[in-house]
Amino acid sequence: MNKIAFFDSSHDLPEEIISAAGYIPYKILGDVHASNEPADQYLQNFFCPAAKSFFTEALHKSGDWSGIVVAQGCNTTNRHFDVWKMHIKTPFLYWFNAPVKNDEIALGFMKKEIKAFIDALESFFKVKIGDDKIRESIRVANEIKKLLQKLSAMRSTKDIPNRDYLQAILVTLQQNRMDAVASLEQISREWSARPAFPSGKKKALLTGSDVSYPEWMDTLDKCDVRVVRDDLSIGERYFSGLIPESGDPIESLARYYLNIPRPATKPGLRGRIEFLKSILRTTPIDGIVSQNLKFCEPFAYDSVSVNNALKEDGHKLIHFEREFTPVTDQQIVTRLTAFTETL
Amino acid sequence: MNTKNTANNANIAKEQIKVEVLPHAKDLKSVMLYYLIKGELYSKLPWKKTAWTCAGFPVEFLWAYDMFPLHPENMSTVAAARKQSLRLIEHTEAMGYSRDLCSYCKTSMGAFDTGIKTTLGGIAKPDLVTCTNTICDTHWKWFQIMAEKMNVPFYMFDIPKWVSGTSEKKLEEYIDYVVEQFHDFSAFMERNFGKKLNEKKMRKTLATSTELTNLWREIYEYRKAVPSPYSAAETSASFFPLVVLPGKKIGVKFYKKILGDIQMRVAETKGTLPEGKEQFRLLFEGIPFWYRMRFMFDLARYGAVVTYEPYTYSFSPVKPSADVPFEQALRAVAKIMMDLPYSYNLERRIDYFNNAVDEYKIDGVILHENMSCRPSSTGMIDLKNAIQKEKNIPVLILQCDMNDPRAFAEGPIMTRVESFIEMMRENKKKRG
Repeated sequence: MNKIAFFDSSHDLPEEIISAAGYIPYKILGDVHASNEPADQYLQNFFCPAAKSFFTEALHKSGDWSGIVVAQGCNTTNRHFDVWKMHIKTPFLYWFNAPVKNDEIALGFMKKEIKAFIDALESFFKVKIGDDKIRESIRVANEIKKLLQKLSAMRSTKDIPNRDYLQAILVTLQQNRMDAVASLEQISREWSARPAFPSGKKKALLTGSDVSYPEWMDTLDKCDVRVVRDDLSIGERYFSGLIPESGDPIESLARYYLNIPRPATKPGLRGRIEFLKSILRTTPIDGIVSQNLKFCEPFAYDSVSVNNALKEDGHKLIHFEREFTPVTDQQIVTRLTAFTETL
Repeated sequence: MNTKNTANNANIAKEQIKVEVLPHAKDLKSVMLYYLIKGELYSKLPWKKTAWTCAGFPVEFLWAYDMFPLHPENMSTVAAARKQSLRLIEHTEAMGYSRDLCSYCKTSMGAFDTGIKTTLGGIAKPDLVTCTNTICDTHWKWFQIMAEKMNVPFYMFDIPKWVSGTSEKKLEEYIDYVVEQFHDFSAFMERNFGKKLNEKKMRKTLATSTELTNLWREIYEYRKAVPSPYSAAETSASFFPLVVLPGKKIGVKFYKKILGDIQMRVAETKGTLPEGKEQFRLLFEGIPFWYRMRFMFDLARYGAVVTYEPYTYSFSPVKPSADVPFEQALRAVAKIMMDLPYSYNLERRIDYFNNAVDEYKIDGVILHENMSCRPSSTGMIDLKNAIQKEKNIPVLILQCDMNDPRAFAEGPIMTRVESFIEMMRENKKKRG
């Protein structure tokens, strides 16, 4: 099965359509171990390093992909699209203009965008994407979401290192979704046999920019911080809700994508805060780790209001900015260790 | 310019060359005062309403609701010009906002929080906060935060992105989406303020607004003349009526006077520099360094004149005629919101710049790689390469910031400018 890669700065692209077209939706995540020098030829040093890494990956791997889709998320997506169009060799480069708002007008627009996306795939790849195929794709996506919900819930009760949780999601985002179901079922069986939550670890809620590499999650573990809840797109936002399986599948997808908990790339600051508060009401948490990837503007803007609101409620919270690197930042370790001691 | 800090290049002219400003340039002050005083009045009178809005927003709509548009960005530039931006930015950073965030936003947040005077860049609390995402995410992030903080209704227009390769069919769908939001905005205004859109007032405003932008575009036609009659040293300030007062006669009157001055200069073959001093005609892309407006004047000492800026031209789109059916006018406004030269996609941007280089007889291009404006800085390297390749003229990328003086290091920047001047000189020699 061939892959169609996609650049999605949060969780905006209805990847189920790619599956329904008979292709593997492959989320471009970059490689934190590879130099961004190829991207540096075209993108400035004060741009999001993760987005630069995605571009570098596309420069190297686009030949392995049948096409690339870029979904509107943060400004990086639309502005970098043009640069991708100029330099990435691919037979199919598509812009999916996911609406930023989520009212009824945006819903109508989202449905049009999904239909246009289907038309583009059908026309270019000579495939037929019928409702039955989309429904089957939605069914599989929901299977994955349910499994991830189950795995996520285990974080509070079992000894699940942060790295393991992230890798379970990462593996889902880049492989055939049917294979992902099998992988997650295997992981679920394995995690069920794990020992109980370790007594020396503190339970944390992780918020802020997406974390796409396990080394950073290791840093948290080194500091005895165990993430048991989060609101990341490579995290709970990916599986917090299910896609309605009855009715018009396009309507279902549009409603699902517009109504999952809002990230910082979408308006709805109050909603973001309320979502985090609902997590804190339902899950015992020792502290909150708020982090921002260097130059990730949407989360940097939100962090002050969000963090103040959570602190006003009496929660302990640490905030810091991190680089896009697998190397452990000792300054962060020092601050996190001190923070852990206060919990 | 501090001559002690500039490179000691023998080919660089050392004499001061004065930019001759237009006789009516001083009239801008009264236009600005009109805006500031009227804004203060609307903010204080309980029966009047004001709205914060941003660049790229069709301000005519607000006038049609009898809402006075206050522009936080514009006031941030005032703060920078009055040397206040650094302390305001630092104030906002002390509140927790990152150094990497937009300096307009941080200046404005600081101005609001410290309550500084309007004449220094302060801004009053509005009744409404409204914006678009047509230029950047920062606009709506910033405005949303402030609306939340001030407990004021917030309306954002979601403008689809006209990326490279967008089809006409797609554009029409995008326009449909924006027009639906105009109607939704009407319902929002009625719900929140009991105000209905006054179509007659809207048409009248559009007519005046069209007159204003037409005048500005006419002025830019004259800027093609050699020597250049009007440079960025002046347009960087005089374009403000386009931003804050479209639809108001006072801006039209000002531009008519300016246009008259320019026509006279062109008729007399006079330029903004003294006779025979114009050596290099420049295109400057990006937002100026507001805290260092001297930069545009300083270029004169090298015989360089900024003859064209896509940024200031951005605010003068061809607006719909006042007599077209209202729905058609809405579609035209929707398209304008997606079609700002400042936000052009890379393919259109390259074509646009190459045309401008020809039309304005440009010898070199300065691209402001603005650390506060990542959307504008994206693609700049490709833009530079394309202009150099297709037009065979030097292009200088200057990394700096529009409102944060910490990004401006005079020595290194002027050294680079001087090298750029040398490159243009050599290039002109080669091209004969």
